This record gives sequence, structure tokens and C-alpha cells, in this order.
Amino acid sequence: MNIFRIRAVILRHLYNFRHHLDRLTDSFYWPAMDIVLWGLTSQYIQSSGEKVNHIVLILLSALVFWQVIWRGQYEITTNFLEELWSQNLLNMFSSPLTLGEWVVGIIILGIIKMAVTIIFAIFLVWALYSVNILNLGLLLIPFFLSLLMMGWWVGFFVTSVLVRFGRQLQTLAWSGVYLLAPFSAIYYPVSSLPTWAQVVAKAIPASYIFEGMRQALLTGEIPVQKLILSFGLNIMYLIISLVVFKQSFKKSKELGLARLDSS
Amino acid sequence: MSVLEVNNLKKYYFNKNIFGNTFSKLNQAKKTPPKPAITKAVDDISFSIKKGEIVGLLGPNGAGKTTTSHMLLGVLTPTSGSIKYFGQEFNEKSKELLKEINFSSAYIYLPWRMTVYENLNVYAHIYEVKNKKQRIKKLLKEFEVYEHLNKRMNELSAGQKTRVLLAKAFINYPKLIILDEPTASLDPDIAVKVRQFLLKQQKEYQVAMLFTSHNMHEVQEICDRIIFLNKGKIIARDTPNGLLTKFKKNKIKMNVLKNKEALETYLKINNIKHYWQKNKIVLTIDEKVIPKTLYQLSENGVRYTELEILKPNLEDYFLRMSRNK
Repeated sequence: MNIFRIRAVILRHLYNFRHHLDRLTDSFYWPAMDIVLWGLTSQYIQSSGEKVNHIVLILLSALVFWQVIWRGQYEITTNFLEELWSQNLLNMFSSPLTLGEWVVGIIILGIIKMAVTIIFAIFLVWALYSVNILNLGLLLIPFFLSLLMMGWWVGFFVTSVLVRFGRQLQTLAWSGVYLLAPFSAIYYPVSSLPTWAQVVAKAIPASYIFEGMRQALLTGEIPVQKLILSFGLNIMYLIISLVVFKQSFKKSKELGLARLDSS
Repeated sequence: MSVLEVNNLKKYYFNKNIFGNTFSKLNQAKKTPPKPAITKAVDDISFSIKKGEIVGLLGPNGAGKTTTSHMLLGVLTPTSGSIKYFGQEFNEKSKELLKEINFSSAYIYLPWRMTVYENLNVYAHIYEVKNKKQRIKKLLKEFEVYEHLNKRMNELSAGQKTRVLLAKAFINYPKLIILDEPTASLDPDIAVKVRQFLLKQQKEYQVAMLFTSHNMHEVQEICDRIIFLNKGKIIARDTPNGLLTKFKKNKIKMNVLKNKEALETYLKINNIKHYWQKNKIVLTIDEKVIPKTLYQLSENGVRYTELEILKPNLEDYFLRMSRNK
């Protein structure tokens, strides 16, 4: 691992971010719209007399938490796509840059950009609805870390597909993680899912985090077991996703990386 | 020691049909010829490049030039064979060896939203270049694009982009550089300057180059040696002059004033290939029979002016070899 090359990967995408209005809207506009819509919806449900405790806090916290997963995945997939769109893949990978350095660079970049988006979202939720997600205190750190790890492994699985099939499947870069959303118990408990879906949900690390988040907000208890389970699953999936990504990249080189630039 | 040594390099593509027999049956119905089971993009080639040597890799489209250069850059895995840089196996030490190599292609781009400086700064980091700003400034001045330093890539003309890509290719003081049509899309005066720059790099820093181009005049001017590929195989290799000595046919062009019929009869009897270019005739004949032919035409009463004897050049060689596929 070479620090200069990792820095080069971060620089390359930060420069791009600066010139790219789309990326600015992805980081601020869409999270803001989600917060406004879900905030108003939850306020309406609460004012209509439904007996749901802390509905605004729970829904908006879930929304911010989901942003962590989504941004984690999005940064990995779109930064890879960015190299295809700008036909820069050959320049990058005919240089001394290793796949590992690229991965580390993209992960650091993802943490930086996720932090910016999440700070913005937390501030917006507080400013618009007087809901303070920071009430969860230090518990936010393991929650966010686990969610971010889930975003990464989903991102690497999706990028494994992109590295084999190129831009023809690029929609996955935005939508890949949504395949897991119904099983992640973002806004509802796992118990409300059909039995078969509950089995699937148990294999999704996010379901433990969202359940744990609700438990912490409603009862004040720290969901230690749920956190351990989510981290265990995330570590396993992350290792598998990196192995799959490496193999997929190797296979793609057998067919030629140049075909991805023109796909 | 060779800078680059390629031995028995092969790249085969195995054409598998993931849809089973469905498409084969459709093809049969449409009478489309089936795809061969194996496509031999590069078929057992061996060559080497010495320090400071410029080698031209020529061949028609689909000959295997790009496939070869992509294997040399590590972005395409060979089916078999070995690539050695500076005596070391490329597949064992690729990332170390790629620090000493670079490439530029007229058909590859740099991120278009980023400025010229930003792009080159990223690559200066990747190649761990010391004094990055000075290096970028020096190269951009050499290629006469320094005034565009802060412009985005999409604001540059095709020629300016090509020159920025060349600056990127030289940013790490490479010992070997792979250039895929480096002067395509350049104005003639800038192309001359680029060629002068390449020759200066060769002379002063002993930079070796593998050079592909469709500009045969350029190849003849710049390359020490030429490797001619066709259908993935090397079919000729020599110096530019060496290749031309194998090519003995010359062309004679003349404006015929009198006795065209006698001329046509003479050409038919002696089986001399020819064609008309407006009012001038072009004959293709061996160099050694030119005096005899001109004498006999005169004896047959053929009168002509504006006689030109066209020596064969690499373009003729390229066309003949390409047509012979």
C-alpha cells in the first residue's frame, strides 16, 4: 500500500466532486427532500392521534441511518462508474496503482463524504423538526460504523457486477442496495414481515441495527447483542465481497479492461 | 539487456455461447456463419526492444496491435507467453515495473470535468513524481499547452487533449513508453514538434518506445525498427529501409501525349499492371526494368511528358501486406 497512490485516488474524486453538480445534489438535495417528506408524514401521523410513541424521532432517525448505508454503497459504485464514464480505467490500471490502493482510497473518500452528508442531515432534522438524533450519544458510532460496513459490502458486490458487465448494468449503482431495503426493517419491526421474509431479514445486518436503534430510543437499553450480530455479519459479508470483487476484476482483465471503457 | 522482451505471447478468446444452442439455431435459420470457437487475437509473437530504441508496431485493423499493447500494460491477461521488462517477469512484479513505463493513446481520455493541472497532479501522485508542479509545468510547456493549465479537459480541442495525454505519458520519466497513434488529430506543425520531442527523449534519456501509427511517413521518420502484424502474427520485421528493399516495385507516372493505343498494347503484352489517374497513367514495375521500359515505349512511338518515378514507401508496403491477408 502506497500513501501517495491512495491520496491520488482521493484527490481524483474530490476534484471531480468539486466540478460535478450532480454529486452535490446527491449529497445534499436528495437527503434534504427525504427528510422534508418523511418528517411531514410522521408529524401528520402523530397529530392524527395514532398511538405510536416517538414516531417523528423514529422515522427521521431511520431515514438518517439509511442514508449511511446508501452513501456507503453509492460512493463505491459511482466512483468506479466515474472511471468508465470518463474512459480513464486504462490510464488508472496501467499505472502502478493496485486494486487494494484503489479500494482503500475509495473507502476513505466514502467516509469523508458520508460524514458531510450525515452532519448535514442531522442538522436539517434538528432545524426543521427539533429532533436531535445525537441524543443516541456514543451509541451512534457503532451504529454508523456497522451501517457503513453494510454499504461497503453491497457496494463491492455491485461493483463486481459492473466490472464484468460494464455500463449496461449501471442502474445497479444507484438501486442495488434497495433490493435489501424491505428486509432491513428500516421503518417497521422484523416481526411485521411475513415469516419467509423474517428469515431473510435475520441474514441482513441492517435489520439488527434498525431494531436496535428503535430499542435504544424507546427503552434506553443498549442493544449489545444486536450490535455484535450486525458486526459479525458485516465482517463476513465484507470479506466475501472483497474476494468476489478481486476475482471479478481478475476475470475482467482476462477479457480486457478496455472493453469496459467502451461498453 | 533488453528493456522489453516478449516471448511466445498469445491471446486467444474462447467464444462461448451463454445462451446455449438458441442463438446457434437462430444463426442457422438466418444463414449467418457461426463464430469460430477460438479467436486468435495475438498468436505466438516474440520480439524485444533495446534501450533507446523506437519500434513501430504496424498492421491493419484487427491485426492485434492494441491487444498486444494492452497485454504489455497489464490491462489484459495473456493466454500464455511471457513479458519481461528489464529482465524481470511482468506478471510477478507488474506494479513495480509499471513505475518505469507509461502510455498514451489518441483513443483514451482523461476525466473531462477535471482541469489539466488536476489530472496531471493525480498521475504525478500515482507515479510518486518529485517536484510535481515543476514537472507538470515543464511538460506542458514542452507540448505548448501550458496556457491551458487551469482549463477543464472538455474545454480543449482534440489536439490539445492529445498533447495533455502525452504530458501524462512522460510525467514519470518512463524508460519505456507505449504510444498508440500519438499524433492522430494533431495539426502538422504540432505533429512535427511532437516527433522532435520524442526523438529528443530517445537521444537524451535513452527512452525506448513502442509506437503504433497509421501515418507511414511518421513511422519511417521516427522508428528504428518495424514489426508488421497481421491476423495476430508477426509477418515481417526489419528496419524501415530493410522492409523497402524487399519491396522492389516502383511506380512510373506520366502524362501520355501520343499513341495511347500502342502504350496499352505494350502493357498488355508485357503484363504490366497499370491504372489511369485522370489523364495520367501509373505503371507498376520493377526498378531494374525502368530504363528498358521507357526505351521500348519510345521505340513504339509513345510520347509523354511530366514523367515521375515514385519510389516505394512504407504506405505501399503496408497496403500490399494488408491486402495479402
